[in-house]
Amino acid sequence: MGVIRRGGSFVLKVNPILCDGFGHCHELAPDLVDIDEWGYPIIKKEPTPTGNVQALQSARYAVRGCPRQALRIERIADQP
Amino acid sequence: MIGLTSPYLWYSTRATGIVALLLLTLVAFLGTFVANRIGGTIVGRFEINELHRSLSIVAVIFLALHIVTTVIDGYVATGWFSTVVPFVSPYKTTQVAIGTIAFDLILAVWISSLLKVRIKNATWRFIHWFSWIAYITALVHAALIGTDTKGASGLIFVAFCAGAIVVAGLWRFFGRPTRAGGRTALSPLERVAPPRTKSATAPFPRDQRPTSKGRARR
Repeated sequence: MGVIRRGGSFVLKVNPILCDGFGHCHELAPDLVDIDEWGYPIIKKEPTPTGNVQALQSARYAVRGCPRQALRIERIADQP
Repeated sequence: MIGLTSPYLWYSTRATGIVALLLLTLVAFLGTFVANRIGGTIVGRFEINELHRSLSIVAVIFLALHIVTTVIDGYVATGWFSTVVPFVSPYKTTQVAIGTIAFDLILAVWISSLLKVRIKNATWRFIHWFSWIAYITALVHAALIGTDTKGASGLIFVAFCAGAIVVAGLWRFFGRPTRAGGRTALSPLERVAPPRTKSATAPFPRDQRPTSKGRARR
């Protein structure tokens, strides 16, 4: 699944226009995505360190598992 | 061209054709499960989606075996071109062409799914609708040219598949959950409810979640 870069952090971003509330992201990354009453995702806003391999892997699964391709991982570089 | 005339090739063609049709039925049904948001309690919705994706690859493999064994069987002349170009097979031109059309459509659906991250989602969805036409075409191909569909058991199987796809189609269009109801994702992880530590990784503390009760359960 690619090289895991240790530095920096990441957040999941959802495209609300593409999202259709399938809820797969919550099942695949329950620590990063919560679900609202109607099945739409509530994404954790605080960045997760990229060193958290498990969280990054679950985020990647969520991106891959989205039936509408509405998710992406946004990386945030460390402040120098 | 290699002209092999072993009856085993013919047997393989028939067997892989039947298995491919059965697998395509399952794949189509699982696709409607994904679209109608089935799962989330005993099995996850993502698991049904993964099964749909994985089984489709198995179906394509059986379809490839079906096609290759047909073409290399020298007893009937079909030719490699007839695998992708319809109406060029000297043997049973129309019936083979229907299978070719089904294969072309399946190929389009498959390639668009492989390129899913690179193409627009609307494009992918549009191409994915072809799978219904592809399935019906494959069914007609099986009914018209299948050696086994001359017998009762094969006809029963094809009729069963036809019934299954009609049910799947009707359910796909009329059984879709409405926007407000039935869209809650209850993940198996949530149902088991392990005593998770309220670490910083959780977006909400468990007791402050927007709705843990009063969800519309289907």
